[in-house]
Amino acid sequence: MAPLKFWKKLSGQLPPQGRWAHMADPYDGDEVVVLDCETSVFDKKKGELLSVAAVRVKGKEIRLSQALDLTVKSDAVTDPNAVRVHYLRREDREQGVAVSEAIENVLDFIGNRPICGFYIEYDRAILNRYIKQLYNFQLPNKFIEVSEIYVRKKRRLVPELQLDLTFEGLARDLKVPVIERHTAMGDVISTALMYIKLTQFP
Amino acid sequence: MTIQINLNQPPFSFLSEQQLGWLTSKLDLVFFPAGAVILDEGQAAPGIYIVYKGVVEETDQDGTQVFSQYGKEDVFDVRAVLESGCKHRYTALEETLCYLLPAQDFVQLLNESSDFSIYFKTDLGTQEQLVEQRESGGVSEFILSRIDEDTVRPAVYVTGQTSLARVAAMMEEQKQDAVLVRTARRTGIVTGTDLLRSTLLGDKTRQSKVADIAQYDLIDVAYGDFLFNALLKMTQHNIERVVVTRDGDIVGILELMDMLSVFSTHSHVIAMRIEQAKTMKELVTAARRLEVLVDSLFNQGVKVVSIMELITTLNRRLMQRAFDMIFPERLRNSVCILVLGSEGRGEQILKTDQDNAIILANEHDREAVLPLLQRLHEALLDFGYPRCPGGVMFINDAWIHTVEGWQQRVDRWLNSAAPDAMMNMAIFMDGEPVCGNAELFSPVKASWQRESLRSSIASAWFARPALQFETPLTFLGKIREDHGTIDIKKGGIFPLVHGVRALAFEYGISECNTLERIERLKEKHVLDEEGAQGLRDALLLFLRIRLRQQLDNDTDNPGLSQQLKLDSLRSVDRSLLRHALHRVKKLKQLLINHYHLESF
Repeated sequence: MAPLKFWKKLSGQLPPQGRWAHMADPYDGDEVVVLDCETSVFDKKKGELLSVAAVRVKGKEIRLSQALDLTVKSDAVTDPNAVRVHYLRREDREQGVAVSEAIENVLDFIGNRPICGFYIEYDRAILNRYIKQLYNFQLPNKFIEVSEIYVRKKRRLVPELQLDLTFEGLARDLKVPVIERHTAMGDVISTALMYIKLTQFP
Repeated sequence: MTIQINLNQPPFSFLSEQQLGWLTSKLDLVFFPAGAVILDEGQAAPGIYIVYKGVVEETDQDGTQVFSQYGKEDVFDVRAVLESGCKHRYTALEETLCYLLPAQDFVQLLNESSDFSIYFKTDLGTQEQLVEQRESGGVSEFILSRIDEDTVRPAVYVTGQTSLARVAAMMEEQKQDAVLVRTARRTGIVTGTDLLRSTLLGDKTRQSKVADIAQYDLIDVAYGDFLFNALLKMTQHNIERVVVTRDGDIVGILELMDMLSVFSTHSHVIAMRIEQAKTMKELVTAARRLEVLVDSLFNQGVKVVSIMELITTLNRRLMQRAFDMIFPERLRNSVCILVLGSEGRGEQILKTDQDNAIILANEHDREAVLPLLQRLHEALLDFGYPRCPGGVMFINDAWIHTVEGWQQRVDRWLNSAAPDAMMNMAIFMDGEPVCGNAELFSPVKASWQRESLRSSIASAWFARPALQFETPLTFLGKIREDHGTIDIKKGGIFPLVHGVRALAFEYGISECNTLERIERLKEKHVLDEEGAQGLRDALLLFLRIRLRQQLDNDTDNPGLSQQLKLDSLRSVDRSLLRHALHRVKKLKQLLINHYHLESF
């Protein structure tokens, strides 16, 4: 696999080292981690991590009992409008954990499993920004975009189909309950249900 | 953690806040596509499932027999967890989300919380807890009851000079076990046992004076005192009756047997009271007690079908006794009183309105009979049967006929396609003779059991009203409610009862009871085994959940209430109801196909 690693390095990928080296191992299990981050502002470069939630999904089952649901202790100034979106006031965040601890937990939690989400590119960018700062590597995991599976499935039958690709649009069309929208955990559960339905249902 | 179900209800409400928090942290979420088998027969359950969204059906392995349905917040399959192995198949009827509490965590909660575990053990048929509650309930009821006119028997007095033979005859006549003996100086009591002992074991004869054997040290209790004080006195003195006094005067006798009946409302005690009643007032007291009896039997878990049978017997006996009191002997054989509708089918539990009719042997008796009927009608009102708003009562000319008159009337009904004629026929067809000469009814009944009639268009006309009310199910097969309620009579009971009645009419089945009609229709292969069982279960379910709500209803005539509040049903009952309504819909379809009703 050396040429691949080399290529990754060339393309700007930094493989994990030491404690996190195992994350680059190929994954041979049957679990997927569904993950969602909430940030202070919706900006890949400036958005500060406020909370992160993740669950492992195996088959049709969401392992809620072993879920990760962390609020980050952060004094980042949030746009009052954003508070309305994620409901995390500065007071709530004071109860949280340090961002470094949150990232450490996330890495332990996901291991080398594939990571799935809705607009996962954003979460990947946010997490990579912190991981690079703290450990100087980037997530080598496979990423799965729920909306992409959805589009692929839908357009297989009717290629020109007009699709509502918002989170609510997907939930409505897939008849998946939207649970406490804009809390990281609620979004994670809904996303996990979308993923199960798209991949496990006949 | 975000749990989307309300755990603030039994059985979870038995848990402490801390235990609930712990439970919540142990839940996983599982998503099943429609048609997925969640658990199968013989399979070990990974834990208990709590439904969050969707519907799960419990069936046998081929899916033919449906045992139950589970909706939001219902729990299954506890038995599979506790008994290591699932007995039935659980299938998701639609896309279903269930929380899963792993078996070992569930068992740990059972061990930690006795209330929580009792709930599940009761569910599994262990009735111990219920029995305990019932017994303690009975005791408190007894402790709070007081001596009142319902428990005290009016005393029968004899003079001291009366002969023993005369006293014995009076006791027999008046159905009393004891009489009070009044002499110039004092008052005593003589019981049946005293009579026996003094004559058979002693030296007294039939002609001896009662004053010689009476006991004069009367044990008394005050009117209005607590019943248990009377019981204490009886126990202390080893006697079975005490004298009740009010301001120092004797007002009657309190019998041990009567007293027990107050709190146990044993059905045989009420039956005995009906038998022993000598006045209309005593009958009224007994009649008024029937509702309490239903309530207590139902709460003791007696099956609806048994309650129905018992109440039917008691209702009819009550009417017969009233009839005997009102009708002179010479007229009793020349009339036949019929109870119609639900009372005729023997499906009445709480009193509904009077539906009755009379057959006269001779037209010239009409004048003599009319005032008696009026009195009987009033007695029924006193018993608690409201008047029939449709006037289906033997006090109205339309429901008083001779045998020939009734035969003509049946002919007219059946030759008219009018819906109200069909409904009259339907009510009349469920008639059962209860008083007077039952022979008069046979020729009338024969008039609609003719082969030619059954195969005619009349059968179809007769069946049609079963379709007049829509089954309260939505297009997608869910219960369609109207402000949280459904009319269970229009939506479920009437179409089922009438559909079965229509088939019974066509196949010349003479039974009136719907369950018996279903059985006969099965024997005649009109209904298949599964269909018959389904209709039977559906009817009993309708009656059971209606009775539950009627008993909770605090109105004067709870038996008239047909509105079912869906949110006060247990969720299991709600799904069963949905299932039962589907059975009704299926029966309607059968009627449409059978009688070609789509062309009407």
